[in-house]
Amino acid sequence: MNIRFLGPIIALTFVVAACSPSSGPAAPTATSVPATAAKPAATAPAAAPAAPAASPAASPAAPAPPAASPAVAGSAAKPSANLTGEIPLGAIWSLTGGAAVYGAVQKNATEMAVDEINKSGTLGAAKIKLITEDDRSVKEGAIPAMEKLTGQDKVVVVLGPTLSNSAKAADPVAQDRKVVVVAVSNTADGIVEMGDYVFRVSLPESAVVPNTVSVTKNKIGYTKVAVMYGDDDAFTKAGYDVFKSSLEKNSVQILTTETFKKGDTDFSAQLTKIKAQGPQALIVSALAEEAAGIMVQARQLGITVPIIGGNGFNSPQLAKLAGPAAEGAISGAAWFISADAPGNAAFVKAYRERYNSDPDQFAAQAYAGTNLIVTAIRNAGATDSKSIRDALAKLKDQDTVLGKFSFSDQRDAIHTPVVQVVKNGKFELYK
Amino acid sequence: MEQLPQQLMNGIWQGAALALFAMGYTLVFGSLDIVNLAHGATYMWGAFIGFVAVTRLGLPLWVAIPPAMLGAGVIAILLDRLAFKPLRSLTVGGLVLWGGFLVFLLGVVGHWDNTIKTGIAVVGALVMALGLLLDYRAASPLRQRAVPPLAPMIASIGASIVMISVAQGVFGAQVSRFPPRLFPTAPFSLPGDTVIAPIQVLVLALSLLLIVALRQLITKSRAGRAIRAIAWSERTARLLGINVDLVIAQTFLLAGALAGAAGVLLGLAFNRLEPVMGNEVELAGLTVIIVGGMGSIGGAALAAFLVGMIRVLSVAYFDSSFRDAFVFGLLILMLLARPSGLLGRGRVVRA
Repeated sequence: MNIRFLGPIIALTFVVAACSPSSGPAAPTATSVPATAAKPAATAPAAAPAAPAASPAASPAAPAPPAASPAVAGSAAKPSANLTGEIPLGAIWSLTGGAAVYGAVQKNATEMAVDEINKSGTLGAAKIKLITEDDRSVKEGAIPAMEKLTGQDKVVVVLGPTLSNSAKAADPVAQDRKVVVVAVSNTADGIVEMGDYVFRVSLPESAVVPNTVSVTKNKIGYTKVAVMYGDDDAFTKAGYDVFKSSLEKNSVQILTTETFKKGDTDFSAQLTKIKAQGPQALIVSALAEEAAGIMVQARQLGITVPIIGGNGFNSPQLAKLAGPAAEGAISGAAWFISADAPGNAAFVKAYRERYNSDPDQFAAQAYAGTNLIVTAIRNAGATDSKSIRDALAKLKDQDTVLGKFSFSDQRDAIHTPVVQVVKNGKFELYK
Repeated sequence: MEQLPQQLMNGIWQGAALALFAMGYTLVFGSLDIVNLAHGATYMWGAFIGFVAVTRLGLPLWVAIPPAMLGAGVIAILLDRLAFKPLRSLTVGGLVLWGGFLVFLLGVVGHWDNTIKTGIAVVGALVMALGLLLDYRAASPLRQRAVPPLAPMIASIGASIVMISVAQGVFGAQVSRFPPRLFPTAPFSLPGDTVIAPIQVLVLALSLLLIVALRQLITKSRAGRAIRAIAWSERTARLLGINVDLVIAQTFLLAGALAGAAGVLLGLAFNRLEPVMGNEVELAGLTVIIVGGMGSIGGAALAAFLVGMIRVLSVAYFDSSFRDAFVFGLLILMLLARPSGLLGRGRVVRA
């Protein structure tokens, strides 16, 4: 009841408010990290029937033999690589924080790929030395990680970061220092535009979502939908933009658009509004943590229509996070576990044996990315960043666990996506 | 407008949980003039203790809530003895307590074998217990002085950071979730085309129950009367023979227990536990106690429902980005129009 220090209290409240909820040092709010990164992952198993044509740029001129990891159909004749020594390869994953569900499997897959490569002698006498950093799912963690890897550790290639949001902040550092960055889960726009040293293995939302929308519209036949997206993250916003334009192209009416933020726990206000409008489907552009919250609360409120999402849905953790509410969730993906891509079966088996769990799309993309890098190193016959960059840019029609993969002229990913649905807690091809 | 009943329902149960949280805030502020900004961290720890009880000890939900409340209450007492009490009266016991606490922290977050870590933590805990005892039974403090009003608040900010960091070290910074089928999920249908989920009913019911219980405790019981006496005037209470130190500990125990209950309930309702979960509710709670009138329990309850409603309706009828803006707007409005809050008493000049 002492009013005299009300003023200072209020001032301090605002200071605390400014520090805590946003990306404070100690508290990375569950960032929607996987945003870009996780998305495009090579989806399109080679067997996917309706897959749109793979990149037109897939020139027949086979650029380089596929990475000679055991999981890939080992056909490439080993070039005489006169490489020796240790090749430092950096990786930035979100191992803690809101995107940890994605980062954990990426780390697993990359470590497995590097071990396979080192054992198989693909690079001659040279060995890859993998240095992994955790960006805590925030860009404030990604930038120092990138600086350390490219400066102190002198890596020649960096894999990651997991989230588009972090990539947009950290990749310019690598570009400045002329170190190759290979994005394996960024799916927002503006990634490869950051510079000619930035490559992307994950299909952007702009390549996956239109397929998702047309496939689901044909199957479900919806004409009126409601849309929810996170307006504070590069990935979820990019996903929303693509969903919006795809829906409009397919003459679907958007009844209402609601927003939320990373770390939000309560979506009842937005969902109540949506329920009152009576949409035939709910489109959600969110990361797994928020997506799970939305699904649970939507079902709680009695919203029964199908929920369709972007790359954020593609972690099998989604089914664990949302429990029974995740049943029937549909998303466009870059990879499918039983896809017929070369080496995919061997990759899945090896991952299962080593980690006692199934790999997911993000693991497959990280695995493919690592192998593509090794292919480039072998083709270049050199271990400096510039040579690797040039060799990577030339890769076309590579056999990867994602299917036939090529880099476009802008160093972006080209391969075919799929649509999948959660059934009994697991992903199945959406038919 | 047709969704108004459902939006109101959304706001009511969230307001109830917020009221539960704000009770502890206002209790400590009303009786001790301390703005405890670590209250949110206490709430978070209560949620995690409940989480551990359910997931690692396999206790059913009903059995898990009391330990969470007790654990959070004990943490609040430790918070007082470590962060607030040394400011007003520093004793040898207090110093011993601090030493023990540092050793305990080392044991929890150090990088050694598990057995060594546990050993160090146990030693630290024992020293802390000794320190608590000495501190409580201290005949004469080393230093005693009037506390500048802001000092405990700043200390609580530091305490909050420590509590969050320890939680991150123990539980990891990512989101933890209760197992999915802990509670029936089929929502109840109510008139007005509204639905409410069983967990939300639990939150509402338990919050109201605890608030009523608190009110009974404060008004009818001896301990409650002692708390109110200290709120009125600490010196007079001391002269009347009230064991001020003990009552302060009881106040913190109560406040912490309420925060812990709120933590478990909201943690269950949203099923999203992370070490920083206290931050958002803390700011809302601060607004609640200022709008409601500092030190007034009824005012805090009223303001909590108001703030809960505003949070839901602002998202329903405007954009989700404006939720905090509306809450703080209410705060500023209240400070301009009626600084003592809705039900707060004006400043009383005592002879």
